[in-house]
Parts: sequence; structure tokens; C-alpha cells
Amino acid sequence: MTNILIVVVVILLLATLVQIVRVSELLSDIKNKDVNEVTDKDNNTQGILFLIVGFGFLIFVVWQMVTWNHLLLPPASSVHGAQIDTLMKISMGLILIVFFVLSPILFYFLYKYRGKKSNKAYFFSHNNKLEVVWTIVPTIILTSLIIFGLKTWDKSMNVDVSESTTIIEVYAQQFNWNARYSGQDNTLGKANFRLVKGSNILGVDMLDASSADDKMSREVHLVIDKPVLLKFRSQDVIHSAFLPHFRVQMNCVPGMTTQFGFTPTKTTAQMKETEGDDFEYILLCNKICGASHYNMQMKFIVETQEEYDVWLDSQENLESKLLTQK
Amino acid sequence: MDIALKNTVKKQLLWVALVSISMFFASMLSAFIVEKGDVDNWKNFSLPTYFVLSTGIIILSSLLLFFIKPALKKGKSIFGLVFIVLILGLLFSFFQIKGWEQLTNQGIYLTGIGSNVAGSFLYILTLTHLLHLVGGLVGLCISTIKSKQNLYSINNYLGLELTSIYWHFLTILWIILFTFLKFY
Amino acid sequence: MSEHHKESFITKYVFTMDHKMIAKQFLITGMFMGVVGMLMSAIFRVQLANPGESSILYSLLPGAWLNDAGGLNPDKYLALVTMHGTILVFWVLTAGLSGTFANFLIPLQIGARDMASGFLNMLSYWFFFIATVVLLSSLFVETGPASGGWTIYPPLSALPQAIPGSGTGMTLWLISITLFVVGSLLGGLNYIVTILNLRTIGMTMQRLPLTIWALLITAILGVLSFPVLLSCGLLLIFDRSFGTSFYLSDIIINGEALHNEGGSPILFEHLFWFLGHPEVYIILLPALGIVSEVIAVNSRKPIFGYKAMVGALLLIAFLSFIVWGHHMFMTGMNPFLGSVFTFTTLLIAIPSAVKVFNYLATLWRGNIRFTPAMLFAIGTVSAFITGGLTGIILGDSALDINVHDTYFVVGHFHIVMGLSAIYGMFAGVYHWFPKMYGRMMNKNLGYIHFWGTFICAYGVFFPMHFLGLAGLPRRYYSNSAFPMFDGLSDINELITFFALAGAIVQVFFLFNFFYSIFKGTKSSQNPWKSNTLEWTTPVERIHGNWPGELPVVTRWAYDYSKPGAEEDFILQTEPLKEGEIEH
Ligand code: HEM
Ligand SMILES: [Cu+2]
Ligand SMILES: [Cu+2]
Repeated sequence: MTNILIVVVVILLLATLVQIVRVSELLSDIKNKDVNEVTDKDNNTQGILFLIVGFGFLIFVVWQMVTWNHLLLPPASSVHGAQIDTLMKISMGLILIVFFVLSPILFYFLYKYRGKKSNKAYFFSHNNKLEVVWTIVPTIILTSLIIFGLKTWDKSMNVDVSESTTIIEVYAQQFNWNARYSGQDNTLGKANFRLVKGSNILGVDMLDASSADDKMSREVHLVIDKPVLLKFRSQDVIHSAFLPHFRVQMNCVPGMTTQFGFTPTKTTAQMKETEGDDFEYILLCNKICGASHYNMQMKFIVETQEEYDVWLDSQENLESKLLTQK
Repeated sequence: MDIALKNTVKKQLLWVALVSISMFFASMLSAFIVEKGDVDNWKNFSLPTYFVLSTGIIILSSLLLFFIKPALKKGKSIFGLVFIVLILGLLFSFFQIKGWEQLTNQGIYLTGIGSNVAGSFLYILTLTHLLHLVGGLVGLCISTIKSKQNLYSINNYLGLELTSIYWHFLTILWIILFTFLKFY
Repeated sequence: MSEHHKESFITKYVFTMDHKMIAKQFLITGMFMGVVGMLMSAIFRVQLANPGESSILYSLLPGAWLNDAGGLNPDKYLALVTMHGTILVFWVLTAGLSGTFANFLIPLQIGARDMASGFLNMLSYWFFFIATVVLLSSLFVETGPASGGWTIYPPLSALPQAIPGSGTGMTLWLISITLFVVGSLLGGLNYIVTILNLRTIGMTMQRLPLTIWALLITAILGVLSFPVLLSCGLLLIFDRSFGTSFYLSDIIINGEALHNEGGSPILFEHLFWFLGHPEVYIILLPALGIVSEVIAVNSRKPIFGYKAMVGALLLIAFLSFIVWGHHMFMTGMNPFLGSVFTFTTLLIAIPSAVKVFNYLATLWRGNIRFTPAMLFAIGTVSAFITGGLTGIILGDSALDINVHDTYFVVGHFHIVMGLSAIYGMFAGVYHWFPKMYGRMMNKNLGYIHFWGTFICAYGVFFPMHFLGLAGLPRRYYSNSAFPMFDGLSDINELITFFALAGAIVQVFFLFNFFYSIFKGTKSSQNPWKSNTLEWTTPVERIHGNWPGELPVVTRWAYDYSKPGAEEDFILQTEPLKEGEIEH
């Protein structure tokens, strides 16, 4: 039924179009003019349209910025994230300025210089001074952006790992995440994909001495203001660990280990106060990985040292979990 | 288009195509370098001795092609020359295949359980080179037949010239691949 | 010289070697694929706004796999996204755009009778055609077409166990792309050699219209980068079908451990993006070339800064080979390498900015005539400004942590590469339609088409930036799995509304195009009062382009409104007057 309806509508639409074109061609035959010649009147309408629609577009952009502002991510909850936010503000501000300068110029020129048969354009083929200026100005601006950007990048990526850094493994597979805490020794036991079997879903090598005290978990707890280093592995295809609130993202690639270090600065409880009660830090998958890519998530919880200790103690370590079962 | 322009155009088409083919092999070689750099179970291999032989053969065949122009200038028949080059080309292909046989005897496989990325690259590089060489062989076949029928003269041997350029390219490409696989 | 054989239907319309007919073949095929790709986006847009309601649109698409039980499940969603991206990037904006305008314009604008090799040219189209058939045939495969994204990253694309589309569908995708690349390379060789050798007397490189410069540089990019896609694909084919481990290592899938060890998926990304980034300029540059020409003609002014425009094209082309890493900031690459790629990437903004300023300077004090082609050319400039600016965010590795693979990226590349290039293509079609078919396209339908498209396109793609800044990843079948995205449904509905409206507006174009081929008003020889050589050929299509001698060129292509001339345009064949200096 709907299909028939669609066909009917399409046919009607086409018929109308044919009629419109026919009529305009007939009319121009009568007036002895070429329908498709662009007249001064057309230039006038189109020029004005550019002014109206063009500025309409700019207003639409402003409207979006105002209306949807509250939907954007809240300020970063990590140390390096705050720097990224600053850089983002500066870059955004800059491109918005350029956007709000160049677009109006474009639309205004179209209106202002809309053609008339009686006018003649100004022959102006080049001007070295002008061209040098508008090559150098962007170069200077970009250079400063590059420098600022690289500094931020450097600080985000080259974390120094000290004694106090908690090391946690995040393991990706179709379509869920698992975490492994490195335990007292703060060293993750070795792992190998050939050892994945039964409840040893991460393929941890239990012969390695550092494995025994490792702990597995389906959610990640972090301590506020304490640096953490996430180590990523993947079991099957490429996934990407994306923690938007912390400004953290890193691909998880089968056959290699990647990492990202950061320091959380706000507890989940603090965030709930400002962002609403259902707020949670979430780890999403951000690299197409199959059917349930859209639903591959794990909860992150930032809390105080005391809360963290209680939670961690309640978790079983691998020694008792894997070895005693056998 | 006059003949001279037509010839330049055809040659240039070939040259641009060669640039393109070079990019193909350059990317393959850089893939090889990158993987060698970061794979930890890279299995080193020694090149089969047959490859040394085939290197000699293809260089010889390329050198022979340089005698074509003088021969044509003197009005001599070039059939023998082209034919020998063709035979050398076939010999080269034969030794390449022999070389692979040697590799499998060494336990280096293209695919499957026992294979290693290093070996796979070795096969793929030589295989794609050989595939390109098949094109050269077809060109040589045509040239052989045409030279048998005496269709070439010093003013008119574009087809042969194009084949020669392509053949030299394959020789140089092989030398590069060979030195790379041997010494890198 | 033009030998006049009697042409049969087959040699005239099917296996033709005439560059003008081949151009039309590319155009029609590209347009057809454009419609298919657009319908796909309509289907998944409806899904994103109203999950589970897109079924009415299925019947418009070929292929049965959509209709079977379950409606649009996640696998099918990903298949559609993948095919949509592949089709638009390669079929519409590479073959459809370059194929059409390189074939059509190169001989006509440089004053040649045809391409250097008509035969290779024909071959190039037929490779493309077979590639099209193979790609479309993958829509009829039981497990569906390729679904790993148009970037086909392994291991996902290598393992049928990971996603059904990676079975036969992916095999067909690879075959199709291989054929496509061979076709593009054959075309590219021809374009380069033709431009370098077959320019008519007086057509020096400094007098070439910017369209030709752009097409030349595009062809060079293609010849250098497409072979890399071939080698990248070849290794993938071996991994998929013959058990090698170039890209695969340490994988367990469906509980089964694979034998592959030692390969690296990251290697694939390097190879892919070494093509991939030049590819976006292969898409964009021809559009910028067309736009330069259309804006100059319709502003009745010389293009401002011709030399700078050429220089900018060259610089962009060169830089495009050393920026591919900006797609891989999040792969765990060495941070120093990331810095290098940030540096080179942001450098591209400089020549891009120069181009924009030069376009604005060309409009300044012009006598602008708003033909439909001109409207679309302006659309390109606007989209290039809007979309190019967000590139400054994405090219900055530190900021990319935040927006990589989110809808911000989708918004960015659709505007800067999708819209700019599509508008450029429309501009080209409206502008050269009279030359192609000897008839005019209807002006008023063109106006409606432009305004509808312009409004809807910004309505679709601008809001996507906000989705991205809210953290929404791309390639998500549904946004309902995360409470944090619940607030975004309004935006999604708005986008879908504009997407559907925009799709309907294209009917005006399709109708106008086909109606005008047969019924449009007859065109005069030089309807736009343009300087370039193609407008000195007769209105009817003839083999060899010019009936008598080839034209002789005596000036550059941009003498519009030159002081001292009676008319506001001077054909390139018009000799310089006594004492007149070239621009
Ligand atoms: C007809 C209007 C169009 C609409 C409504 C549209 C919409 C979309 C949407 C919603 C996505 C999916 C984003 C995701 O889930 O990741 C997408 C992907 C994509 N689109 Fe479009 N698009 C349109 C036109 C174009 C054009 C003109 C191009 C040409 C450059 C294009 C190229 C792509 C590419 C390359 C992808 C990525 C595919 C992938 O993720 O593998 N689209 N489009
Ligand atoms: Cu995933
Ligand atoms: Cu890029």
C-alpha cells in the first residue's frame, strides 16, 4: 500500500515538474525571450537570497550553539583533559571567529556585486602584497596553534610512570570489556592469547609470579587525584577505548599493547552533583568492531581512597579464582 | 597526431605507468621494512641460490636488448636476439619457481600454520614481480613473431622499444628487490 | 584529419572511444550510484531518528538481504554505512567527478582532438563499469555486502566470523575495488600524458585553465597513490583467502584461536591512509578546479592570483602525501610521530586559506551572474570554509583525542569533502551541460535545486558537530544503549528531517537533467560568454572536436572585463592587440 502511494506521489511530482517547465518555456516563447538566460532580475533575487539564507545559516549556527550547549560534554575530569579543554576553547574560538568573518564576507559580496547588464567588473588579476599578507597571517596563527597543540599532546601522551601509578589492564573483545588490576606488586602478570580458556578469559599466564595477586573485574574503580596507567589489549578485532569525560581515547589492537595514562580529578559522586543523578563515567567502544559495537560499554567509578580500598579488598585475586577451581 | 608525437605519447604512457608500478613495489617494500622493525618473531631466511642465478640471467637478457638498435641500424635481422631474450625470460621465471621450491624445502612457506610474515613477504614480492614479468614475456613473444616477419626497421620499432623499456624496468626492479631481500 | 567512419549504435554509445561520450558514460554511472548511495543514507538516517521505521525505503534499493526477517539489524546498518561510504567516495566523487570532467574537459580545453589513447580511455570506463557491477552484486549476497566501514580495517574485514559482511561481500568488495583502481590508473595515465603532450599551439602551461591544472594534479595524485591501495588490498586478500598473517596476530574469534602470528593491523592503516588521504584531495581538487572556472566566468572577472592558485594546488598535493598519520593518532603510534603529522597536517591549512581568499577576491567588485552553476560554485566555497575550519581541530593530535571517530568527524568530512565536491560536480554539470548535450538545463529548477540542497545539507551536517562534541561515536547502530546520549534524540530527528528533504530535492535535478537532454531549449555556441576553447567548437557533437584546423591560443583563459575590450570576455584564440600586455 505504502509503495503504491509512493509511486503515485512520485508520478504526480514529475507531472507537475513537466508542467512548470512547459509553462515557463511557452511564456518565454510568447515574450520572445530565452527562458534560461539569467536576467538582471534573477541576479537581484539570487543576490538577496544569498544575503537572507546566508545570514539565516549563521543565525542557525548561533542558535545551535545556544540551544545545544548543555548537551556537550561537561568539563574534563582529568588533569591533562583540562589542558585539552583549554586548547579546544582557543582553537574553537579561533575557527569560529574566522568562520563568522569569512562567511558574512562571502554572502555580502554576493549581494553587493550581484550583476547588472549595464555594469562591468573590475579587472583585478593579482596583487602580490595582498597575497603575501594573506599567506603570512594564517601561517603565524597556525604556527602558534601548532606549538600549543604539540605541547598539550606531549603532556597527554608522555606520562611518567612512578611508584604510585596504578596499572590496570583493559581487555577488549566482541562485545565487552574486562579489566585486570595489577595487585600488590603493581605488575601485571604476563598474558598470552593461547592461554585463554575457561574462566581465564584474559589468557593470564599463571606461571608468572606477578600473576597471582592480579584481580579481574567488570568495572573499573579509580582513586581521585591518583595517576593511573591503562594498558589495552584486544582479543579479536580492533576496538577503541573511549572515555569521553576524561578526554582519553586509545585503540585496542590484537597482537599489541597500547596504553594511556591520566589522573582523574573528580569523583563520580561529585559529578552526580553537577550533572544529575544518573551520571556515570563510561567507557565506550569507538572503533567499528561488529554488530554490537554500539553497545560495548563498561562503567568507570572514581572514588576516594577509602572507598576504593574497600572495593578492591572485596575482589578475589586470580590465584584463588583460577587455580583453586582446577 | 603525427607519428613522432604518437611515439612520444605511447612512450610517456609507459613511463607514467612505470612510476605507478614503482609505487606499488615501494609500498610493498616499506610494508616489509615496517613489519621487520616491529615484529618480534620475525624469521630470518636465506635467499635461495636459484635467485642468484636468475639475477644473472635477467641482467644478461637486459644487456642483450642494447644490441637491438645497432643491429637495426645496420639492417640486420634481430629475430635471434629477441628470441634469446625471450628464452632468458622464460628461464628466469623457471628459476624463480625453482627458488620457491628451495624455500619450501627450507621450511619457509607462503601461508598456513608454519608460515611467518617474513617468508610471506618474500613470496609476495617475488610473486608480484613475476606477475609483472609475465606482461613483459607477452610483449617479447609479440616482438619475436614480428621480428621473424621482419616487421621492424630503424624507423619503425616502437613496439620493441616499449617492450625493452619495460624489460629493463623489470630488471632494475628485480635487482632492487634482490639486494633488499638479501642485505636488509 | 578526423576520419569519418559511419558509427553504429555500439561504437557510438557503448564501446566508444570518443572522450565526450566516455565522459557521459562516467557521469550517468556516477549519478546512478549517487542515487543508490543517497537512498542508503536515507535508510540509516531514518533508523537513527526512529529506530525500526525505515522499512518503506527498503524496496527502493536493490538486493534482498535487507528485506528478510528482523528489519534493519546492526549488521545491515553497518553494511549500509559501508556501502554508502564506498559508493560516494569512490564511485560518485572519484570516478563520477574526475572521470566525467577529466574526460570531457581535457581535450576540449587544451585544444586536442581526443585523449592520447582513446582505447585506454575506453578500457578505463569498462573496468569501472565491471567494478560497479561487482560492487552492486554484493548487495545480493546472502550474508550481505562488506560491513567493516569503507576503511575496511582488518581484522574485522578479514574475519567472516567477526561480522557476516566480511565473507563473500568483502571478497566482492576487494575484487571490485581492484578493478576500480585499474580503471582509475588507466584513466590517470591518459589524462597526464594528454595534458603534457597534446596542448594546441600557444597553450602553454601558464595559459591552462585552472580546471586543467586541477585535473592534472589530481591525476598525478591518483597515479602515485592508487597503486598503494592495490598492494594494501593484495595483502588483505592473501590474509583473507590464503592464510597469511600480514595484518593478523594473536586472535581468538568465536572461541577459536587462529594460527596467525606476527602481523600488524596498524600496517594496514598506514598503507590504507597513504592512499586514503591523497584520495580526499583526488575528490576535492577537480571540484576546486571547476569552481575556479565557473566563478571567474560568472563574476566576469579574471580568477584572482592565478599563479598562487596553481601553487596552492601543488602544495596541497605535495603535503597530502605526508599527512596520512592524522587518521591514526589514536593507534598508539609513537607520540613524536604524532607531532610530525600534526605539523604537516596543519600546514595544509595555509594553501587552503589562500584559495579561499583568492575566491573571495575574485568575487570582489565582480559583476556576478547567478547561473545555477555559479550558485553551486559558491556553495563549494562556503562549504570549503565551514568544513575546512573544523579540520584545524581534527588535525591537532591533542584535540583529536576528544573527537576522533565521533560524529564531529562525520560532520567535518561530509562538509569539506562531501559537500564541496558534490557542489563542484553539480556546478560542472550545470555549466557544461550545454556543451555535452547542445541544450540548456532549466534555470528555475536549477535555482530550486540549489537552495533546497544548500539549506538541507547544512541542516544535516552542521548539527553533527554537536553530536560529536557530546561524545557520540560514529558507526553506531543506535544511540539508545547509553543514557548519556538520550538528550541527543532531538538533534538526530532534525538531521533526519533535513536528510530526507534533501534527498527529495535531488529529484528536481534528476528531472531537469533527463528532461533537458531531450527537451531542453537549444543552446547557443557560447551560452555563458566564456573564454575557453571548448566554446569554440560547434554545438553538435563531432568526432575530433573542431571541424577544421585546431584553434591557436594567444592568451590566458581569464581575460574577462579587460579594460579596452568591447565585450566583457575575450576568447583565448583572439590575438593580442597591438600594445596589449597579457594580464
Ligand atoms: C545524501 C546525503 C548524505 C547523508 C544524509 C549522509 C549521512 C551519513 C551518515 C549518517 C553516515 C554514518 C556515520 C556513521 O555512522 O559513522 C555517513 C557515513 C559516510 N558518508 Fe555520508 N551522507 C551523505 C552524503 C555523503 C557524501 C556526499 C559523501 C562523500 C564524501 C559521503 C561519504 C560518507 C563516508 C565516507 C562515510 C563513512 C562511511 C563509513 O563509516 O565507513 N556521504 N553518511
Ligand atoms: Cu568494540
Ligand atoms: Cu586525511
